[in-house]
Amino acid sequence: MKSRDHALALVSSRLGWLAIASAIVLAVGGTMAPDRIWSNLLIVGVYAVTLALGGALFIALTYVANASWNVAFRRVPEAMAVVLAPAGVGLLAVLAARCQQYAWHPQNGEADAGTFWFKELWTNPTFWMIRAVAYIAIWLLLSRMLVAASRRQDHSQGLGFTLFNRRLSAIFLLVYAPTFALASCDWLMLLDPMWFSTIFGVYNFAGMVEATLAIMIILSIILRRRGPLRGIFTDDHLHDLGKLLLGFSCFWMYIWFSQYMLIWYTNMPEETAYYLLRTGGPWGPLMIANVALNWIIPFFTLLPRPWKRNESIMLKIAVIVLLGRWLDLYIMVFPATVGTTPMVGIWEAAGGGLAVGLFGWLFFRAFTKVPAVPSGDPLLAESLHYHC
Amino acid sequence: MANTMTQRVPTSSSVPNPDALATLRPPLIAGDKQPADVTHDICAPFERGPTALWWVAFAVSFTTLVIGAIAVTYQIATGIGTWGLNRTVGWAFDITNFVFWVGIGHAGTLISAVLFLFRQKWRTSVNRSAEAMTLFAVMCAGLFPIIHMGRPWLAFWMMPYPNTRGPLWVNFKSPLLWDVFAISTYLLISAVFWYVGLVPDLATIRDRSPAGWRRRLASIFSLGWNGSARTWHRYETVYMLLAGLATPLVFSVHTIVSMDFATAVIPGWHTTIFPPYFVAGAIFSGLAMVLTLMLIARKVMQLEDYITLRHVEAMCKLMLSMGCIVGLAYGTEFFVAAYSGNPYEQFVFLNRAGGPFRWAYWTMVTCNVIIPQLLWLRGVRRNIALVFAISIVVNIGMWFERFVIIVTSLHRDFLPSSWADYSPTIIEVATLLGSFGLFFSCFLLFCRFIPVIAMAEVKGVLKSPHHAHEHESVKGDAA
Repeated sequence: MKSRDHALALVSSRLGWLAIASAIVLAVGGTMAPDRIWSNLLIVGVYAVTLALGGALFIALTYVANASWNVAFRRVPEAMAVVLAPAGVGLLAVLAARCQQYAWHPQNGEADAGTFWFKELWTNPTFWMIRAVAYIAIWLLLSRMLVAASRRQDHSQGLGFTLFNRRLSAIFLLVYAPTFALASCDWLMLLDPMWFSTIFGVYNFAGMVEATLAIMIILSIILRRRGPLRGIFTDDHLHDLGKLLLGFSCFWMYIWFSQYMLIWYTNMPEETAYYLLRTGGPWGPLMIANVALNWIIPFFTLLPRPWKRNESIMLKIAVIVLLGRWLDLYIMVFPATVGTTPMVGIWEAAGGGLAVGLFGWLFFRAFTKVPAVPSGDPLLAESLHYHC
Repeated sequence: MANTMTQRVPTSSSVPNPDALATLRPPLIAGDKQPADVTHDICAPFERGPTALWWVAFAVSFTTLVIGAIAVTYQIATGIGTWGLNRTVGWAFDITNFVFWVGIGHAGTLISAVLFLFRQKWRTSVNRSAEAMTLFAVMCAGLFPIIHMGRPWLAFWMMPYPNTRGPLWVNFKSPLLWDVFAISTYLLISAVFWYVGLVPDLATIRDRSPAGWRRRLASIFSLGWNGSARTWHRYETVYMLLAGLATPLVFSVHTIVSMDFATAVIPGWHTTIFPPYFVAGAIFSGLAMVLTLMLIARKVMQLEDYITLRHVEAMCKLMLSMGCIVGLAYGTEFFVAAYSGNPYEQFVFLNRAGGPFRWAYWTMVTCNVIIPQLLWLRGVRRNIALVFAISIVVNIGMWFERFVIIVTSLHRDFLPSSWADYSPTIIEVATLLGSFGLFFSCFLLFCRFIPVIAMAEVKGVLKSPHHAHEHESVKGDAA
């Protein structure tokens, strides 16, 4: 037991050092290339917040579906959801620190967000910041309540907590859908203030769920290899997560195609401007890489049954999907804030390092604070004996 | 850190509490049924001959179908001028009905394929009839574009095959042609999926029937089914593969229907959210129709033990979630119209809510978003009369949704001098009625000749006498 704990502590501390080293590099970069550093930090913030929120979303979806297969490893998405607090504060700090990075901000002289009264109201910097705080506060409150009820159930074994969480999950989903759609509009779509697309919230939802499943696969495999979930997180659980990842990878592609194809087909200048910026020159190969990482590779590799039950293959696919999610956010953010040439260098690597290090370190810290298995859940036995 | 990790092995406290399991996993089929009871109960309605009620229902449906057939014959003989269309509103009632029926056809595949992949066992009581409903609804949908062609005998021109018509060739750039492929594929796969699921039940009918036409037909269509382990194994593999193939079709069909509108440059039609929004709406309307029909069938055919309140509740929850997604899509369209600052978009949406068709818009919002919120209440979900009423309301609301999208986006176009009104003629209304007649006639015939519940699948979810022992072993292992 001791050696397993030690192994986990080692992973955790390495992640912590990675985060510190990346933060130092980014701090240095802040003086040399502030636009790029800010853009990287926005990606890190959105990435971490959506992964943490994804954990809460996964818990809520499985509760409302009355599912049991996930109970054995539910502490993984729960610990992810706990990371929402620091990730949310970090994102708010990034947004507050340099909100003039958004082209519509009054500090940029003449605001170019359009002259319609609603748009002016919507891009009022104070209102915009209040909304960001409100979204994160609401998500934090609901996700904390979900996690707290699950933890309290360890001691009392009451069915009441399951029923409570089922109701709370329905409320979570109802609140999550509109707030997340608006948040993705506020934080990402407003980077191109004149552009608009009604599917944008759904697109970000698809990317978020895909990345959430990928990180859950990675974290569960690490926890199985290092001890806490050995014999608990089975190949059957891995197989089902793989099937869901396959499904949501296709869903992401479906939404990506719906947005791209409809804009390409109608060819209206106010809409095509977004893609012209992102398909021209060196961005073209990156667009294709985005599709490859988020759909083509996961689709073909997740089709065979044995591969979905193979730990090392699943780890690689999950890493590819997480890289794809980063690239997806990069394509949304960088053309608007940094310029027409894609730049990937030490600052971007440091951004990635910060995301991995900080999220991982916070996750393991949250995970090890409570028992690794929700032992009071009445559906735990079903989950431990689960065969797909 | 190390201290906290030592507590992490599941202890004896993970023994499931039997009461809790009974609450979370109530039996699917009521009345302590044995497999033989299932066969008897499901086969009884069509073995004992039609009831008077069936004859009345069939007479009404068939009469409506005949009225529709007369209307269609008249409009084809006279021309599409018999419709209420004008130069501004060139698409209205006909395509509304088309989209409405395609949407109804969605719940079948969702229940049979998607819920199968998600291992939702409650689907076994409703999948057979939902799939049948899908086939009939898609048939009804297909009628409208064919009638709209004006010369339906040339419908085969939609198929791209080497021909002697010179430069006449289908337009692959048109979403209307994509519809032809999407819907015909959907119909084909749904029919195959439905038929494959029927094979074990047809074998049961074959074995039960006395010598005669029923036995002969069941014998041919059950494809020599012998119930061996090998047969079952192959059957389950095929069923799983077909479910995997059918799942993308749940998305593709209504996505392409939505593109009929979204690839246009017309404000109110061109919006990127249309594909997923249409799919959610289609599933919403399909579930409403499944509920409408199954609540009637449950009562008339005494299937209360098979389609229990648990099934009704599950469908209500799905319907509620789809209703909320549709509501979110309505909100998103309004929000982005304001956000974009595009005056044409804004005009279309304000015109929907406050213009001459506001009655249709508010009917849609009330029926699709406001009234279904009642389903949050457990008491409502378990009240059959209320659920039936809500399902009818949603059916109406979803028809109006398509009407609102199509007509209000067209009737006041960019040039105010060409603004026009639209009202359907009696011929158009009769055609819609006729499609309902066709749908219900087919459904009633289905209830007469084919088991409305998948017997073989329901037998698989019966609470077996060994169930109690299973729990004991689970307890032991976990401890």
